[in-house]
Amino acid sequence: MIVDMALYQCLECGKCTASCPRRLTGKEYSPRLLAHKVIVEREDEAFIENAVWECLTCGMCRERCPSGVDFNRFILEMRTLLAEKKGLKGYRAHDGALHSWMRMMSSPDLMQNRLDWVDDSIQVASSGDVAFFTGCAPYFDIFFAGIEVDTLTIVRDSIRLLNFLDIKPFLLPNERCCGHDLLWTGDTENFEALCRQNYRSFKDAGVREIIVSCPECFHILGEHMPRIIPGFDLKVTLLLDLLQRELHKGGMAFRPFSRKVTFQDPCRLVRMIDRSSLLRELLGLIPEMKLVEMENSGRGALCCGNCGFINCDAYSKQIQVARLKEARATGADLLITACPKCMIHMTCTIRDKLRHGKIKMEIRDLVSVLADQIELFGG
Amino acid sequence: MERVKILGICCNWSPFACYNAAGMTGKKMPSNFRLIRVMCIGRINQALILKAFEFGADGVILLECKDEDCRYGPGPEVGHENVKRVRRILHLLGIKQERLVECTFGAHDKEELVRALWKFAGDIKAMGPVTITNGQRSEGLRR
Repeated sequence: MIVDMALYQCLECGKCTASCPRRLTGKEYSPRLLAHKVIVEREDEAFIENAVWECLTCGMCRERCPSGVDFNRFILEMRTLLAEKKGLKGYRAHDGALHSWMRMMSSPDLMQNRLDWVDDSIQVASSGDVAFFTGCAPYFDIFFAGIEVDTLTIVRDSIRLLNFLDIKPFLLPNERCCGHDLLWTGDTENFEALCRQNYRSFKDAGVREIIVSCPECFHILGEHMPRIIPGFDLKVTLLLDLLQRELHKGGMAFRPFSRKVTFQDPCRLVRMIDRSSLLRELLGLIPEMKLVEMENSGRGALCCGNCGFINCDAYSKQIQVARLKEARATGADLLITACPKCMIHMTCTIRDKLRHGKIKMEIRDLVSVLADQIELFGG
Repeated sequence: MERVKILGICCNWSPFACYNAAGMTGKKMPSNFRLIRVMCIGRINQALILKAFEFGADGVILLECKDEDCRYGPGPEVGHENVKRVRRILHLLGIKQERLVECTFGAHDKEELVRALWKFAGDIKAMGPVTITNGQRSEGLRR
């Protein structure tokens, strides 16, 4: 594994630790030291185990590493390995409720009622070869009702965009969680079960293409599912990619949106798959909207503070506060993001009563903004 | 028919006093019933209820104090809110909402408590086991 992830290439320059958002907020955590221990001091198991579960997997260290150490994959494989040997570790936020329902979804006989939210504002098909992957949005909105998270709007707006492009997507009535959070917290067994069940339901329904708007779901369906399923032959499309292609064909434009906005880059969308220029291209298409970049943006954007609902702590909060301060410093009054998880974590921090609204900001998903502003050219 | 499992989460104060009194007077309880005693139902969050189902419960009953009797203040209200939300999540998962109920008791309601437990046990027996079969069996070592 050490060879695979190029860990021997580590020069111990320390750029990873110096850019790690966890370290920058004062946590005793160092990717460099972890790499060092794994190579030369493997007997210090306690340290290694602890450190492996501390990472937020935002990918900043990999981004900064001059030697190309694949630190993210290293963490992923280490967690998988340690979970198999010593059980799942790491503090699960919300007492693991989210992982709980994700695991429950891997039961084969499950019959979900996950499409109750579909209303007249969107057009969906009851079958077809193009499906839209909803993800956990219906679950999040109930679980996080206390902080008024509204991720289903992102799903509705995604489908509105598809409708605008004359696509009536098919929604799987028994779609399961993509398993992102289970994979990244080490529960490979249930993750693979979810992958296989999702693949089977896509195949059974005759689906050939899946359109995804959530970056995490895209990361899983596009990169990890083909690894798990032999002979994987589904086309996985990111909604924003599709939109860009369609916009290039012409005939569509955006209505002016006269606001000053800033953008939170999701780690899965800019560092794991490089879409940072696509995001900016799309943002640039809206007339009159002024995009002011934060101090750290694009591939160097700061993490939203948490990933996979593991290790949410005071340091996560500090990262989020720092990020929101950056956002406020741009003078923008709207924070646009492209990942429902960024939205959940940021919304949680914004509502912190002790901050007396000093970091308060409106947050919207990019898809929602695009869906509201798009129009036929000249029409 | 497969045996169903019922979990009761019981507040230490009024409901547990009832449970204790019922036990003292030799009242018969459903044999497939397990009880977890907590200091207050306000201690229970959505995660713990969901976990009960993940770990194999077929029905969960929250035994709470009456709203005005809570020793700590907001306990039962927190319970109502959690039950409301978890029921909606259970619905999404295709689990009947009736598998999660909450009952409130005064300190002397031992008959009511025993009756509620038997009624719940009967309801769950009629519904049969849940479709959740793939949860985690224990939090620590898996193999």
